[in-house]
Amino acid sequence: MARPTEISSEVLKGEKCFDSYLRCALHGAALTVLGVENCGVISHAPQGCAYLVDSAFSWQEADWTKTETLCTKLCEDEIVHGGEELLARTILEAKELNIGALFVLSACGPEIVGDDIVAVCQDLEPQVPFKLIPIECAGYRGSQYDGIDIALDVMLKKLVKDSGKKVPKSVCLIVPHANANPTWMGDLAWVKQTLSQMGIQVVATLTHKTALSKFDNLSSAEASLLLSHDAGKNAADYLSSEFGVEQICREMPLPIGMSNTRRWLLELGERFDAQEVAEKLVAEGERMVAETLRRKGWGVSGESLEVRLLYRMPVAIIADATIGIPLVRFLFEELEMTPELICLRSSQPRAREILEREVGDLGLDPKIVYNADVHKVRRGLDEVRPEAVFGSNVERHAIEGLGIPLIFEVVNPMRQFRLVDREYFGYSGILNILELIQNDFNDRWRSKERRYKARW
Amino acid sequence: MDGSRIAFKGTLQQLLEKVETGEMIPKMQASHAPMCKFMTAFLVLNGIRHCVPLVHAPTGCALLMSEWARRSACCERRGVPLEPVPCTTFDESDVIYGGEGKLLEAVQEADKKYHPDLIVILSCCTAGIIGDDVEMIAQEAEKLVNSRVLAIKSEGFGGDFRSGYEDAFKLIMELMEPPKKKQEKTINILGARVGPTATEISEDLKEIERLLGEVGIKINAEIAGGCTVEEIRRAREVELNASWCYDWGQKLGDLMKDRFGMPYSRTGLPYGLKATEEWLLGVARPLGMEKEALEVIKRETKKVLPELDCLERTLKGKTVIVEPTTVFNGPIRGLAMARMVEEFGAHPIVINIHPYTIKERVPSIKYLLETGLNPEVILTKGVFRLGSYSEMWQTEEELEKVVQGYDNAIYFGSSDRYPPCPVVNLGLVSRFPRYGFKGIQNIARLVETALKDTSRPRSKLFKEMIYG
Repeated sequence: MARPTEISSEVLKGEKCFDSYLRCALHGAALTVLGVENCGVISHAPQGCAYLVDSAFSWQEADWTKTETLCTKLCEDEIVHGGEELLARTILEAKELNIGALFVLSACGPEIVGDDIVAVCQDLEPQVPFKLIPIECAGYRGSQYDGIDIALDVMLKKLVKDSGKKVPKSVCLIVPHANANPTWMGDLAWVKQTLSQMGIQVVATLTHKTALSKFDNLSSAEASLLLSHDAGKNAADYLSSEFGVEQICREMPLPIGMSNTRRWLLELGERFDAQEVAEKLVAEGERMVAETLRRKGWGVSGESLEVRLLYRMPVAIIADATIGIPLVRFLFEELEMTPELICLRSSQPRAREILEREVGDLGLDPKIVYNADVHKVRRGLDEVRPEAVFGSNVERHAIEGLGIPLIFEVVNPMRQFRLVDREYFGYSGILNILELIQNDFNDRWRSKERRYKARW
Repeated sequence: MDGSRIAFKGTLQQLLEKVETGEMIPKMQASHAPMCKFMTAFLVLNGIRHCVPLVHAPTGCALLMSEWARRSACCERRGVPLEPVPCTTFDESDVIYGGEGKLLEAVQEADKKYHPDLIVILSCCTAGIIGDDVEMIAQEAEKLVNSRVLAIKSEGFGGDFRSGYEDAFKLIMELMEPPKKKQEKTINILGARVGPTATEISEDLKEIERLLGEVGIKINAEIAGGCTVEEIRRAREVELNASWCYDWGQKLGDLMKDRFGMPYSRTGLPYGLKATEEWLLGVARPLGMEKEALEVIKRETKKVLPELDCLERTLKGKTVIVEPTTVFNGPIRGLAMARMVEEFGAHPIVINIHPYTIKERVPSIKYLLETGLNPEVILTKGVFRLGSYSEMWQTEEELEKVVQGYDNAIYFGSSDRYPPCPVVNLGLVSRFPRYGFKGIQNIARLVETALKDTSRPRSKLFKEMIYG
């Protein structure tokens, strides 16, 4: 029986001093709009907020020679007298950009003083050669996941029309970017490749390198696949209620690890009448993983981490829900580890249901923390004292002094920089995760010397 | 190059005048967005050990700095332990009802959770607009907790990036206690943000420490470069303040002089022989240690005679194009570098120092002019275009054309530029320090490498990657 130490919304409100893992809504909105190709972004904000937009840039692999991120650089004058005029001027300055759409994102300051960015955009749309899409996403509206939902809501309502017909065997993919795998594009590519093998067409991706024209056909998708447990549910619900886009694979963990991947593929196969292909993918994938590990000598040879070291090892999972929830079954069933602490950065109700069902099914009894912050994580790790942590570079530093020997960096922020995308989804994803485990295991002997000792 | 791509050509003094009258400030709002007041204030306070910067804002403001300044720059690169960057997670209800009560509780929570020596409340845009009185809360909170509690109004809209540094240094003065004793032959180094924050170059600071040590001068605190609250408390016991980076140290130096009557050594950045001598003597003379300093200078100069000869031989009669935006780390260093090349007989031309930068650094620019530095400045039209001007193909193309106008040019900047002349790569991480005598050796090697490599082909891959 699980014993979730749930931080309910009431309790969360009680938390006044919060060392967050998540950025604000403005950042989330930027993460989403930068996934649209041939666009520009204006942050209607003081100049510092422009950094929150710029930091979203590489997360969506935007190209600075093609995409401009601009800022109205609000000062005290605009806070006192309003910044609408300045926004209008900046939009008109951007007329020279060769783009299909200009997203206007408003930050805390202008929203509090009442700048009406929607009205400004409506007034100016006839004067500019591109679409103007205002998104009211002040940081105080919530976390970056809320920002993703806010941006998608505006984009869907403004850009998607009812096409009146459905493309047979088609899906739209929702929020692949709300995933803490630093190269989540690898997960997206695996999903697309798998769908293609099953003869399923992807109508649009919300969002990654998404052409504006893709929004026109979005409603023709038969189904939607939500690729995150942290955000995007509202978009899936909207597409479902407005255009009858059916949600599939919704009640299960995403496809990380053997069992999760098998379950996910088989449900897809059943929905799209491609059971045979799905079963073949499962059989070949599972064989490929086992054979690869055997041939590479992983897990048994003295040169690699030996599987006997993992058996019933108490571990902690500190991650976003998208990676963290599927890891539970993968670590328990395939790697024979025992998750004893699970800290998730978000707290979507559906994600909580999935996680609690999973730990119940597996007969696990972990301590669960939702809406985790760095302090709660450190406190949880101190109480549970696992032998390994599946987390990020934050935990690599946060476990100092706790005597926890192993940290496996699987989610963002990570120390290792990647130029080549590495998926966690699917069978090749299993190999990628095991490779990470192996390399971080080797890394445990690196010097941990520090100049002075923290007090907390 | 035809004049159609030139937006300004004149001296630094003339550019400053145009900036001060508002003539040269870019009208386009979208162009060039440096850090906001909150970010720069954070960077200073982050240099104090066991200080909790409590960000009174939504999570975006806090996490941006936590990720960049603390985890990445401090923990990964500088061997500093992870310390918290909590925030009050300002939400819609706080916007409506105010966040003062929440803030007061947050300070108490922070004290209980992290046991810091100091909590500094940093207010951001939201709190500033709705009028939360963070200073009053800090006073109230201090009565309830074990640590010192200060507050800074650092709303992003409330000033340029310079004001954040300045206000944070000013706030630090609140921690300085009346001297209990005198620390002889001891100084404070002001303006540092090294310790937990990698915004400056620790090798340069080490060279200063080395030279001071050779003379016999001790350092009480590097404020705020990894110093402790205790060291700040004792800061008034020393005989003299000196800045390691004129741009950031001077405000605190002036304030401590005005408020506490502490002498302050006003010198520029020690690039090259002349500036290094000035810096060291500027500190040693008020301490009565001129003789010792002169001996050190003589001894150290002897060690770098080959490099001094090399710099004179290679730079004399040349036109050195210095591009401050690409000089690691910043425009004032770029201008100091212009001064150094002039010392070795070159004619410096400073290209594309952004007028916004001039505007934000008026006191430092004026000081440099006072020291006699007034180089020729060229601004090209690319600087005034939308977007990030330093990585823009227009400014690259314009730089290449400017350089073609000189038959003896050397470029001082970063290797992400491709002018048709020797490129002295000041972005190279392995040739530090640049300050002091060791800096002379390193800069000489960089110049030598640049001259040797002139005929070698540049990477088409990198150029394509940067400029498309």
